[in-house]
Amino acid sequence: MKPDARSFRIALVADRYVNPPPDGLDAVAVAAQTGWGVMQLPADDYPPEVAEPLLAEVAEQAEEFWRHGYGFVLVGERAGLAEALARVGVPVPDGITPQTSAQLAGFLGGRPAPRAGWDTGQTAG
Amino acid sequence: MGVAFVAHCLLNQNSKVGDGAHCAGVYSPVVDVLRDKGWRIEQMPCPELAFTGLNRFWAVKEQLDTAAYRRHCERLAEAVAAAISVRVKKGEDVVIVGVEGSPSMGVTITSSDPLRGGRPEWPEGTAEHVSGEGILVEEIREALAKRGIGFPRVAGETHAIPGHDEAVQRAGLESALEG
Repeated sequence: MKPDARSFRIALVADRYVNPPPDGLDAVAVAAQTGWGVMQLPADDYPPEVAEPLLAEVAEQAEEFWRHGYGFVLVGERAGLAEALARVGVPVPDGITPQTSAQLAGFLGGRPAPRAGWDTGQTAG
Repeated sequence: MGVAFVAHCLLNQNSKVGDGAHCAGVYSPVVDVLRDKGWRIEQMPCPELAFTGLNRFWAVKEQLDTAAYRRHCERLAEAVAAAISVRVKKGEDVVIVGVEGSPSMGVTITSSDPLRGGRPEWPEGTAEHVSGEGILVEEIREALAKRGIGFPRVAGETHAIPGHDEAVQRAGLESALEG
């Protein structure tokens, strides 16, 4: 069995960086290159009755990672995210609204090591 | 072009059960195909992560199929079905990309073994892989049916299936995208 390859690092990413316009910044590609996982935030064209339950699920899952010491950042922004995170007691992580892939890669690469990790003797959780 | 609703772990391998993460974060073999074909990506929630946590054991469908887990998946499925509904009403093509062999996210292969339970020791093997859908996928099917929306075409990431072949996985995904 191959060893678990997780990075313990997760970026909450606004939809416009997951599904960028032509010539836009593809944060998923940058995350793949830099070894970060992605949690996508709901698309801006969803009405509140669709977006809010999706945001609540993002927050609930972020809470599980957060309480186990995984590293978090926010890429872009999403209305309602701060409120959804607050409801589960998770602060809004440090963030960036990048203009270029290099800027995002530099930001992700410069983050401190997360508290969780195999080398700290912790398990996946 | 359309919208691919993808299993959470395809963008975030940190959500995998322990020893299950194939890469650091983004599982590129699936994402690359969707990018190449010009499909939007919509990430579904991971049903097991929030319910059974990061320290969960591997499990078969019968172990997870409790009333409480069904209610949890029903809640997630309603959120996903509402999003799919928006896309369908806009006339966009939709596919679901799951994880074959998963008790929750399998789209044509799930894991089943009615006898499995108790002390978590069993031989490595594939006896639990059977045709069928995982629990969240079943709930999405039902939530869409309530809205009068047909179930989308599906494809699955096959890393957990014996004999996994990335070229075959890619061909299956491309076939689903092309309809």
